[in-house]
Amino acid sequence: MRALKRLLAFLISLLILSAAVFWIARLAPGDPLASYYGERAEKMSPQQRAQAEADLGLDRPIHVQYIRWLRNALHGDFGISFKYKTDVWQVIRGRAGNTLLLGGLGFVLIFSLALGLGILCAWFEDRPLDRIVCKAGTVLSCVPEFWLSLLLILIFAVYLRVLPSSGAWSIGDGGSAGDRARHLILPMTVVVAGHLWYYAYMIRNRLLEEVRADYVLLARSEGLAKRSILFRHCLRNAIPSYLSIMAIAVPHIMGGTYIVETVFSYPGLGTLSYESARYQDYNLLMVLCLLSGAVVILCNMLAQAVNERIDPRIRARQAVEEVSDRG
Amino acid sequence: MDERFALAGIRPTAPAPAAPKPKWYKGKPLLAIGFLAAMALGCLFCQVIMTKDPAYMDLANYARRPDREFLFGTDTLGRDIFSMIWSGGRVSLAIGFLATAISTSIAVAVGAASGLAPRWLDRLLMRLTDILLSIPSLLTVVLLQAVLGQAGVMSLSLVIGVTSWQSIAKLVRTEVRQLRRSEYVIAARCMGGGFFHLLRRHLAPNFLSSIMFMVVMNVRAAIVAESTLSFMGVGLPLEIISWGSMLSLADNALTSGAWWIILIPGAFLAATLLAITELGSWLRKSANKKQSNL
Repeated sequence: MRALKRLLAFLISLLILSAAVFWIARLAPGDPLASYYGERAEKMSPQQRAQAEADLGLDRPIHVQYIRWLRNALHGDFGISFKYKTDVWQVIRGRAGNTLLLGGLGFVLIFSLALGLGILCAWFEDRPLDRIVCKAGTVLSCVPEFWLSLLLILIFAVYLRVLPSSGAWSIGDGGSAGDRARHLILPMTVVVAGHLWYYAYMIRNRLLEEVRADYVLLARSEGLAKRSILFRHCLRNAIPSYLSIMAIAVPHIMGGTYIVETVFSYPGLGTLSYESARYQDYNLLMVLCLLSGAVVILCNMLAQAVNERIDPRIRARQAVEEVSDRG
Repeated sequence: MDERFALAGIRPTAPAPAAPKPKWYKGKPLLAIGFLAAMALGCLFCQVIMTKDPAYMDLANYARRPDREFLFGTDTLGRDIFSMIWSGGRVSLAIGFLATAISTSIAVAVGAASGLAPRWLDRLLMRLTDILLSIPSLLTVVLLQAVLGQAGVMSLSLVIGVTSWQSIAKLVRTEVRQLRRSEYVIAARCMGGGFFHLLRRHLAPNFLSSIMFMVVMNVRAAIVAESTLSFMGVGLPLEIISWGSMLSLADNALTSGAWWIILIPGAFLAATLLAITELGSWLRKSANKKQSNL
């Protein structure tokens, strides 16, 4: 019953999202024909234009277009990309792997490194190591991602000439693993650097909060080793919130990946959605927005579920809230 | 000291010397505040500081290294970077504050409404907020900016403000949901206090301190958003000088290896962001302090 309710909420959210994106995208001035026909669009006669618009279904009122899109989408047909002139899924399939590689690997790196750094800082609280890491982290987190990318390109690609500045593989090379890895280093560094400290600092503060709890004092007075208190008790209490933050972090890291992809002209979903938004490639834009929306909504639900499952206190608190709300 | 206490073995002791009063500036982020003040003043009175007309394209002197005449060099269009920093800072900072003012107003309105509303409305509002959060903000910004047409300072602030209020709204809602059960709020409601009266007199004074940190961080996020968008070519055009639009020339600069075009505006940008962050985390820290038990 509860799962059903969630599924329903998920579907309704997607429906509203699709309507909103559809509407805003068509409000934007710009010529979708230009992305379909390229330069030829400018030379068309009015009759040809009207014919072309009718062919693509762009001459109808927005709500009619939306309903038609919805009906087709429910049959699994999301239309063709105006720019690439093939099925949108085919366009996306070609790029999704690259983004998953960058974002997924980045995600794993960010959260494992952040956990390590956070614990390290909490352990050495207010000692030089903690202070240095905190300062460095704050500085790093303040550097805008695109500027960090520029700096790295300037240093490693322009001056030292050791790493490639753009793309996902060299043109002659058919994408060997070593070549892919070399192209990943700079974008990956930026993705990780842009988010690492935010989460490391979060886990550090969460642990420091935990360390100030009374049960730690009790455990100390019973003679438990500091390390086992920190890892067995404090960390254990901090992990549920960390897990739920991991789930919520997916959209942030995804958004960061989009910017990094654009700066490095990395052929992924980020550059694709940026192009589709700028050049009115409606069908492609819709699918990309829905995809990322679905991922985000799923992640939010996951976060909530994780929280409720691991930490019964949240369920209890919600029950109390519900009762007191009714009162 | 009373005789009875003396009999019980308690002797009067001299009052402990008062701990030296901490200096007023102790623990405050002086460096950050000083830097921000200097930037703000410099940008406000940029007419005094600037050595050249920032918009003038001196094509004979394009992409010059920093020297005595052009303190920070010139960009690939021959504009003086030193002067551009100050007049561009005006735009960047203005967008940061404007966008934050817009997003905070929306956030407080939505959050407080949602917190005070009956359960179903609250759920609906929060669900909508979640949906809005789920579109990558880069995409919404690109789309909205396309709707509004050519970007200017006002329209870009509006777009950034409209797309960045959700997390503050959630925090306001949580705070208001806790506050609404307090006696004074109930009393005010019983006496017929309207929404805005409640918000102004009872709710806002209580949640302001807890959203302050996020508001400051929102300024930072807005400045980052402006520079990122302008850099990508969807924000401010080249003619409207801001730290972001200065960096949109980076592609040319990279091929010619002109490091100053990239390094200098970015360094000012990053330093300002750092100062804002320091200020924000001091605001947060000054709210709660407790000793470790470990």
